[in-house]
Amino acid sequence: MAREMLLSRRGFLVGCSLAASPLLTPVTFAAAPSQNRLVVIVLRGALDGLDLVRPVGDPAYAALRPTLLREGGGIPLDPAGFFELHPAVSGLMPLWQAGELGFVHAVATPYRSRSHFVGQDVLENGSDSDQGALTPGGDGWLNRALVPLGGRPDLAVSVGQEPMLILEGGVEVAHWSPIDDSSLSPQGEALLARLYAEDPLLAASYPGAAGLRHDGGAGAAVRPVDLGAYVAERLRGEARIAAFSYGGWDTHLNQSKVLTKRLGELSETILALKQGLGPDWSTTLVVAITEFGRTARENGSAGTDHGTGGAMIFAGGAAKGGRVLGDWPGLGESALLENRDLMPTRDVRAYAAWALRSQFGLAASDLEGAVFPGLDLGADPGLVL
Amino acid sequence: MEASLLEQIRFGYGPRGGSPPAPGGVEPERVLAQLEAADPVEVVADRPTLDQRIAMVAEAQQQSKDFKAGRIPALTVLPRLKQAGRADLSAWILAPVVAEAGFRERLVNFWANRLTVGLRRLGALPYLAGIYPDDVARPHLAGRFSDMLRASAWHPAMLLYLDQAKSVGPDSRIGRKKESGLNENYARELLELHTMGSGYSQADVTETARLLTGMWLGPEGSTFDPARAEPGRKIILGQSYGEGPEEIDRFLAYIALRPETARSVSRALARSFLADQPSEATVARMAAAYLDSGSDLRPVYAAMLADPAATATELIKIRSPQEFVVASLRAVDWPAEGQGKVRTPGKINQALTVMGQPPFRPRGPDGWPDTAEGWVSAPMLAARIDWAETVAQAVSRATRDRAEPVPIARAALGDLGNPDTIRAAGQAEQRWEGIAVLLGSPDFMRR
Repeated sequence: MAREMLLSRRGFLVGCSLAASPLLTPVTFAAAPSQNRLVVIVLRGALDGLDLVRPVGDPAYAALRPTLLREGGGIPLDPAGFFELHPAVSGLMPLWQAGELGFVHAVATPYRSRSHFVGQDVLENGSDSDQGALTPGGDGWLNRALVPLGGRPDLAVSVGQEPMLILEGGVEVAHWSPIDDSSLSPQGEALLARLYAEDPLLAASYPGAAGLRHDGGAGAAVRPVDLGAYVAERLRGEARIAAFSYGGWDTHLNQSKVLTKRLGELSETILALKQGLGPDWSTTLVVAITEFGRTARENGSAGTDHGTGGAMIFAGGAAKGGRVLGDWPGLGESALLENRDLMPTRDVRAYAAWALRSQFGLAASDLEGAVFPGLDLGADPGLVL
Repeated sequence: MEASLLEQIRFGYGPRGGSPPAPGGVEPERVLAQLEAADPVEVVADRPTLDQRIAMVAEAQQQSKDFKAGRIPALTVLPRLKQAGRADLSAWILAPVVAEAGFRERLVNFWANRLTVGLRRLGALPYLAGIYPDDVARPHLAGRFSDMLRASAWHPAMLLYLDQAKSVGPDSRIGRKKESGLNENYARELLELHTMGSGYSQADVTETARLLTGMWLGPEGSTFDPARAEPGRKIILGQSYGEGPEEIDRFLAYIALRPETARSVSRALARSFLADQPSEATVARMAAAYLDSGSDLRPVYAAMLADPAATATELIKIRSPQEFVVASLRAVDWPAEGQGKVRTPGKINQALTVMGQPPFRPRGPDGWPDTAEGWVSAPMLAARIDWAETVAQAVSRATRDRAEPVPIARAALGDLGNPDTIRAAGQAEQRWEGIAVLLGSPDFMRR
């Protein structure tokens, strides 16, 4: 083959043999076209937006949440004192003050039942269905958004042990796992140790190998803060879009304790992103979304149950924060959905769509078509500076 | 004719799980029949060809200039080249995972390693090295070594990897004008690693380097450029050569048929498939077959397969990391349809790297080690057991914990190896752990 090429092309090549051949000079690696970055965090289990961003100025609120508010300590977010922030997020207050952190209240997907699994599928699929039906492709909206961006395969990454629906679909996406937390039980290790002890060639290497596997921290779960640092590392490389998920928000019981821990970890994760991104934080928008909100009233076990309207978090150097966005529907009995849930006043997909539009210039026709079928994009909420 | 378990393990990438082990020893004709098997097209063919890559590199360079000058908003070709690189990695693993003809796939890797090219950040090489096994090994592994050697010599990846494209005859038209001269790198490795291994002098190396000048990489690929070719006669191993591509090919054909080459190639094959230190009698029989047939490889393989070491039931060779990773995915019958689930190229890349075999980056032009000492160390073994856990958990998730360790262990090992291994797989606390114990066991490291 090389031979045929040679004979048929010699005449041409002799003529230009003094010219530099492109195959002999390195291909230069120019920077990726956009410096803007988007991180989507899926909070699995349904975050209680009413406890994260507490509408203490709403006259009905205190009565709905007697136990949950007992500890107090909310951080006022505005001079009028309408909203207070959960104290576990105090570590993020410098971001709020710098305008790098904001919230959206009373949002939901179109889905109007309350199953976690269906709710998360709809959240990640981006469907318009109130019944939980997915779009025909069954893929993720963030993957569909990659198509108008050129579908560059290293543009987006999902991070974690499992692939995420939100980034699954026709465009190839890298899936990274920060560390492998699978590990054998002591009994499994003992079985292996016995087999290796009988092997003349490999017996000498096994004890060292076993030691290394334990020193490597096998068995330790991935801490959210590590996840944040890891995602930042990917985004400092070629990736511009990253998604990961973070579970444990289903606070039916002892919500104060559970939520304090989860929110503290989420704060650390966001701070790890900021630290890891360094100068690139300034062009980054982070949004954290959840499948639905929780009941306006606390339940009988100091927790809350599955609801509808919830909150979205947005952060980043690119964010126009320091604000709580959204139309507040009120918590009075008649204002609640089915007399139990915060009434959603806007489709959370509209915020996701505006995040894509602001960061990457996606066309409204794509956003209201392929990415989020049936979406009314509406007015720009101004998530980004 | 289904390959026996022993044939699949020693001459292939191990059996695919899901069926009981096939009985029988080693029947040379049955193994040789695999040479004719079709390549796993869905994995191998769905990548840009050499010519397409060459065109893409040129286009990428133009785009890079245009992008820097602000004439275009985005680079579109470079990402496609990088994608091709990822597809090459994926094919390196998945082709043998899905292939029926394990012997053929093992030979692809044997020959690509024997005539190694590796990734260096050198011109277009990062985008051409991954297609080299398909261009050089696949078309010729059932034919003559002399043809494979010529395909390798003229392949753009080889011209770059061993600097042949940089070598200029000092008295050539270009050599007289510029400060440039001979580069002996390829000439030396051609004689030392690719063919003879011994029986030549430094003068032969230098003369070979003079003869090979003119082999060049033009804008459209490999070519002979007379302006770089050293004029005059070259005396190599007592033979006289002039200049021009026909003379280079005549030389390549000559060294391919040298008895030193016959022995060197035969020893490498026997070392890879039979034993770290194959017997001299085995090597001699294979070398005789090689010379009798004018470097036709089929009789050489036949001699290897008929050797007593081929049928010994003790498994003494250590699998390379790539062989181990592929064998593990085959053993759990990794679903061809569900390949989407192996969407962890980063992970496989990392895993192979810590096992000591970073994909397409051999330590030197002598390629990957082919003996146990290159693959056995505590960190490399730790990485293999970690991988065993990863695969076991993945198959457990994919099957909703329905994958049964004992039948998988039986299919993978049969009655070869230590019977305690299959027992241990059944004694683990959870199904996935039993599978991890099998895949991480000493027996599974062997072939």
